Amino acid sequence: MKIVVCIKQVPATGADKRYTDDLRLDRNGVEAIINPLDEYAIEQALRLLDDGSVESVTYLSMGPEQAAEALRRALAMGGDEAVLVTDSALAGADEWATARVLAAALDKLAPDVALTGMASDDARGSLVPGAVAAMRNVPLLSYGSELKVADGEARVRRLSATGFDWIAAPLPVVASVTDQVGEPRYASLKGIMAAKRKPLETWSLADLGLAGEDLAGGALTHVTDARAQEAKPPTERIENLSAVEAAAKIADWLAARKLI
Amino acid sequence: MANDILFLAEFTAGTPARSALELAAGAAELAIQSGGAAIGLAYGSGAADDAASLGAHGASRVIILGDDDRPAIAHAPAAVAAVRDAGALALLAPATPNGRDLAAVLVGSLHLPAFGPVRAARVVDGVLETEQATLQGSVVTTSRPVEGVATPSVVLVLANTFTPGEGGTGSADVSRAPIGTESAFGKVTVAESHPADAKVVNLEEATVIVAGGRGVGGEEGFGPLRDLAAALGGAVGASRAAADAGWIPYQLQIGQTGKVVKPSLYIGAGISGAIQHRVGMQTAEHVVAINRDPDAPIGEFADLFVVGDLFKIVPALTDEIRRRSGA
Repeated sequence: MKIVVCIKQVPATGADKRYTDDLRLDRNGVEAIINPLDEYAIEQALRLLDDGSVESVTYLSMGPEQAAEALRRALAMGGDEAVLVTDSALAGADEWATARVLAAALDKLAPDVALTGMASDDARGSLVPGAVAAMRNVPLLSYGSELKVADGEARVRRLSATGFDWIAAPLPVVASVTDQVGEPRYASLKGIMAAKRKPLETWSLADLGLAGEDLAGGALTHVTDARAQEAKPPTERIENLSAVEAAAKIADWLAARKLI
Repeated sequence: MANDILFLAEFTAGTPARSALELAAGAAELAIQSGGAAIGLAYGSGAADDAASLGAHGASRVIILGDDDRPAIAHAPAAVAAVRDAGALALLAPATPNGRDLAAVLVGSLHLPAFGPVRAARVVDGVLETEQATLQGSVVTTSRPVEGVATPSVVLVLANTFTPGEGGTGSADVSRAPIGTESAFGKVTVAESHPADAKVVNLEEATVIVAGGRGVGGEEGFGPLRDLAAALGGAVGASRAAADAGWIPYQLQIGQTGKVVKPSLYIGAGISGAIQHRVGMQTAEHVVAINRDPDAPIGEFADLFVVGDLFKIVPALTDEIRRRSGA
């Protein structure tokens, strides 16, 4: 039983981000980290490795050469090996192109479960897992707060309208997990040392048989305008008043905006 | 037809979700701009029973993808077949877990352009245009599909982006989706269901939200917030810290990993305003924050920041609102 965890390197949360003149996100000089929500997928995979539900954990990432750092960080948390798909033809790849590349790499790795985080910090569509599942024609089990694998089947615990459900499908599957799986472990010093010796392969588009495809150049959408949010009026403050006085002021403020 | 606007319409026990009504209104609005028709793609338990009623909200036609209670993703093969046949300009999907799953399968299966989550969409000279807030809401980007790419464009739409029409009386023509090809998605099932006894509101549907965070201090601390929400006709929400602490169900969590809400009024009490919470509520029209800490980050982006003790101010505000409404 084998899990492949798909991770993405993103600019650090709260880093000073901006758009370049050609309306792409400027990543120069911005600290890069493992997408924080992907760390929960790593944690879930390692828990399944710890309890013997799976035999191996592989990490897969698509990105520039520096994304190897993110894979080493993941290997320091645990797991066995990593694959980086990097190719100059991939700069600016959109959701479809990203899914196409990950799907081809997953076809080659042939895991029982391909696992992802629930969203990426720098693109909030959360479309890649479902698109990968569609391209590989395997079931999608999304937004799990826990993943179980046993008897040829995967299950995720998923919030329902009031409580929760266990959603199931036969292996192989694509699954995504939320930040409710439990706090990601820290890499120990021993783990960091061990990670340096774990296999990390680099694949190009040619290695995936995708060399002929115009992936990034074939982006389907384009940003036609990026502008600063309309300036809001400055925050009004109410301080140093008794609760009753403050309440009257808040109510006046709400009434002036026809909210009460 | 090439200028039609599709929308996903989720049903539960024969009743359309609020998102279905909003997207029906949105699709009708875009269809007027494009000169096409608004067509619903309905799924979920009892979808067939009440699908025609979407006509009163702007839909000309409704195609039933499936009306059993399987997970939404199990209807993906029917969605792919229906969208492939429809040849429409755009498809509006709710930016909810189910809406995203179906949108993702459509994008992956049919190689479609994807947008969102968006806070506005329109058709300009026959071309779809969307608006998205990025970089913690500081930048608004406008995007369009590249000329000549496949249609429909798939658009994830935030709750409360469109307002359901009132008092409509039309009835939509209802048909069944063509049988989808054999697909792995049909194998996804609900193995176990554990509904809670208590009713939990759908926060995305609330126009007023009173949210509590770590500063609320415990389960009982949400009591005064519930009273205020009731006085305002709104719902109670929470930050991740409050949900993680078990003070409130995860269904009521607002933020990056919870619900993304867009109420007309958001009141945050005892919430510091971390980036992860902010991305879940930054499109609220009016933001009021009540916090003891004069330097809390929420004070930097709230419209009204009240520095003080929430346990005194929230009950006083509830009394004041009740007094003014004569209750």
